[in-house]
Amino acid sequence: MVFWIVLGLLTVIASLAIILPLSGSRREVAGAREHDIEVYRDQLAEIERDAGRGLIGKEEAAQARAEIGRRILKLDTNDQNGGHVPRDNALVRGLAMAAVVAVPVMSWGLYSAIGSPDMAGQPLAERLAKDPASSTIDELVARAEAHLRANPEDGRGWDVVAPIYLRLDRAGEAATAFRNAIRLLGDSAPRWTGLGEALMAGSGGVVTTDAAAAFERAAALDPADPRPKFFLATAKAQEGDLVAAATDLRALLSTLAAESPWRPVVEQTLAQATAEAERRAASAAPGPSSEDMEAAAELSDAERADMIQVMVERLDERLRENPQDAEGWQRLVRSYLVLDRRADARDALARGVTALGTDTEQARGLTAFAAGLGLGEDQP
Amino acid sequence: MVETGHFALVLAFALSLVQFVLPLVGARTGDARLMATAGPVAVTGFAMTAISFAALTVAYMLSDFSVLNVVENSHSQKPMLYKITGTWGNHEGSMLLWVLILTFFGALVASFGRNLPATLRANVLAIQGLIGSAFFLFIIATSNPFVRVSPAPIEGQDLNPILQDVGLAIHPPLLYLGYVGFSVCFSFAIAALIEGRIDAAWARWVRPWTLAAWIFLTGGIAMGSYWAYYELGWGGFWFWDPVENASFMPWLAGTALLHSAIVMERRSALKIWTLLLAIMAFSLSLLGTFLVRSGVLTSVHAFATDPARGVFILMILVFFIGGALMLFAWRAQTLTPGGIFAPISREGALVLNNLFLSTAVTTVLVGTLYPLVLESITGEKISVGEPFFNLTFGPLMVPLLLAVPFGPLLAWKRADLWAASQRLVFAFGGAVLVMLVTYSFVDRASVLAAFGIGLGTWLVLGAITDLATKSGLGSVSPGIALRRFAGLPRSAYGTALAHLGVGLTTLGVVGVMSLQTEHILTMKPGESVPVAGYEIRFEGLQPYRGPNYTEDQGRFLLMDSSGRTLTEIVSAKRFYPARQMPTTEAGIATRGVSQVYVALGDAVDGGGIVVRIWWKPLVTLIWLGCVVMMVGGSLSLLDRRLRIGAPAKRRKRLAAAEATA
Repeated sequence: MVFWIVLGLLTVIASLAIILPLSGSRREVAGAREHDIEVYRDQLAEIERDAGRGLIGKEEAAQARAEIGRRILKLDTNDQNGGHVPRDNALVRGLAMAAVVAVPVMSWGLYSAIGSPDMAGQPLAERLAKDPASSTIDELVARAEAHLRANPEDGRGWDVVAPIYLRLDRAGEAATAFRNAIRLLGDSAPRWTGLGEALMAGSGGVVTTDAAAAFERAAALDPADPRPKFFLATAKAQEGDLVAAATDLRALLSTLAAESPWRPVVEQTLAQATAEAERRAASAAPGPSSEDMEAAAELSDAERADMIQVMVERLDERLRENPQDAEGWQRLVRSYLVLDRRADARDALARGVTALGTDTEQARGLTAFAAGLGLGEDQP
Repeated sequence: MVETGHFALVLAFALSLVQFVLPLVGARTGDARLMATAGPVAVTGFAMTAISFAALTVAYMLSDFSVLNVVENSHSQKPMLYKITGTWGNHEGSMLLWVLILTFFGALVASFGRNLPATLRANVLAIQGLIGSAFFLFIIATSNPFVRVSPAPIEGQDLNPILQDVGLAIHPPLLYLGYVGFSVCFSFAIAALIEGRIDAAWARWVRPWTLAAWIFLTGGIAMGSYWAYYELGWGGFWFWDPVENASFMPWLAGTALLHSAIVMERRSALKIWTLLLAIMAFSLSLLGTFLVRSGVLTSVHAFATDPARGVFILMILVFFIGGALMLFAWRAQTLTPGGIFAPISREGALVLNNLFLSTAVTTVLVGTLYPLVLESITGEKISVGEPFFNLTFGPLMVPLLLAVPFGPLLAWKRADLWAASQRLVFAFGGAVLVMLVTYSFVDRASVLAAFGIGLGTWLVLGAITDLATKSGLGSVSPGIALRRFAGLPRSAYGTALAHLGVGLTTLGVVGVMSLQTEHILTMKPGESVPVAGYEIRFEGLQPYRGPNYTEDQGRFLLMDSSGRTLTEIVSAKRFYPARQMPTTEAGIATRGVSQVYVALGDAVDGGGIVVRIWWKPLVTLIWLGCVVMMVGGSLSLLDRRLRIGAPAKRRKRLAAAEATA
């Protein structure tokens, strides 16, 4: 109610600003000529002041006076359009009326079209102070955050908030929270699994080295938990080792009880992995050739790493020659990220966007893809 | 509160339309009451815009995340200062600041313009109203900062970390005060064209507005330059970036206007040219707004890119610039032209200044727009950078700067160049001496460095000579000279200080460009490196947690050659988690007017870190010079001196006498 009164008051003030001068007395307007003479009179006075102070010589003062005098004379001779004669004009009166009406009509009309008068302001402090029962999950998390900022050594708090972060897709904060919980409360399989999932979510679903290490830790702590095993198998599939992934998944499946909720997920992934392995066997391209893969299988870890580097360089070079390849750029960005070469990934993203044309659909797709992998927008 | 601000914005738009129509019709028909609406409506429009801006600021301060603009550009953990400055650290809010300043100037004209002829005042305010309504419409249609979101998120996306700096509190408001200040000159020019006559009061009014806008723009540009210098971590003070050029062009045009307005005040000459410059200064400001706001250029200033906004601003630009120039072409010949004058005279020198400055504007304009035009026509991307401007802008500035000390020493109407040269003998001798000293002792390699420093000295000493001559030093006793010095009009101090400021800035620019040294090296804790006679020791890296960021602080000790610690330099690499963005915080130690600048690079294996250290001789003079220019401008603004030339006789004796007066 107060809000509407304020709006009405503002409208009245705005209308008065137009009405009051319009209803004022009908003064005669001084012509431009009178104003000019006023200016020249002022200038003459200044000459006297400066001459009195000795800033200009007597002769210069006299000359300046003469020049101003000439200008005043000129005014008198060619001044034809002196003071305006006020005319009473129907058009003028109509216009004034229209303006008085237009301001409230236009402002209320426009505001009702674009405003949100029903929405009260929602200062953050007020939202956080209200009854927790009526708070949204975001508000509860914000409240927990405020508590943890004040008590950063509260392991229980971190333990509670970490899985919520994960569910809210706030991967980076989830990872920090899991790490803090582990640091303060000690090892546990769910915490390590959670950390692995958070790291995975942070890199757009890729099981990074850190994430894999977390899952391995969790698997060692609780061999009965299917989750870390499942993600470790996924990691193998992502690295291209589909056969090993399928083997692990089959082994995992055999340990799961018939009513386990994990069964359908594992079965589905297993089917996908098998199908993908068959498809890849059928067609060598795109990606590493089967010879490459075989060669890679025989190499030591260091040699394999080198080989991957070489293949990425090759892809990079190919894209320099044929830059119109949106999929290729995505592969390159992801490869660099997997190799943990963020700077190169960022560079590849920038080159890709430039090559595809800054404003094209493809470039936006690439940017979104990179953002999904945790590679934010470059700072300008 | 938020919605009250939204409504006030709509109301301000409606008022701006009234402010355009009623006074304009009133001036046309000679209706005093219609004309009388201009003032109250302008003041009320300003009040409504202020309410609107205050409402948005409060929403930022209270982290009201039901406002989309706040969500996109704020964060509850941000320090309060950056919450407030964040109000204009984004596209929508900065446009609201733009109209706030525009209506503020309108209200100022309304309040202080009582002694203006009624029709002129009405027309000026009407044009202000027209500009205002165009921008209000732009805000409401494409960039409304009061768009709400429901349900409201609990946290914002934070402000671009580069903008989280005190610079944001100073740079945009000053720059906008400058840009928008020129709108008043523009409105005066259009009003004169509409009326078909230039009142005697015209120049008296335009010059203070030009001065005010110029002072703010000088400050805004200088602050932006210093901000980029310490924030971006490259140690550069000017990059010839299109966005910088966008603010530099109105400054150059404004400087030209400032000087031509003097001629108009004093000698009633150059009227039409001054009118054109007034139009150009604001047109270039609008062009700057377009370049920065439309997203044509990608930079830290292009907060968001939206084609609709670009097209809208382009339409505003075409309407005002095109309309003004058409009106100028149509009406300019009805204005009475001013008198003619001799080339060797104060007014002649001011015309020379105008020639060089307008050529410089054109140069910068070409360098800024050519790549854009080329790209839009052929799709080819080229970059016109420092080399282009160094080759074109530099050579243009040198003769202008060489001529600056002569200007104030020349008399009005008919002057004696030889007499002026004689008075400048000391300044010239001093400059040559400094040049020789620089060449033989400081830097043997570069003639240019010696010449540049000589040029700066010439300007500084020339400005001092100007004041000394005006107080009659050498021809009267020191006591009288001192009394005369104290009695000089403020504008005389203003001129001298502004020119001195140009000299200081020149010295700073030349010093940094030709004498700076750069060291890029890997340092481990405990190691030290000699820099320009100092010793810099790396103490080590320390993690630090700020309110909404984390950083690694590199601590360095600056020691003199004997190993005494002078000061500590902290240079940091920051990370802002909300935006997932890193920034660099350069470590700067000021010694005299020079600075040591330390920026951190990447860490290397084995505990070391890449460190870039610059020795920047005379660098602070660049910005100190600008501050001196601003002080000079302010003194000039406060002057109520003789507004008409005191014409001298042809005799030499009198010319000399006048120059000392």
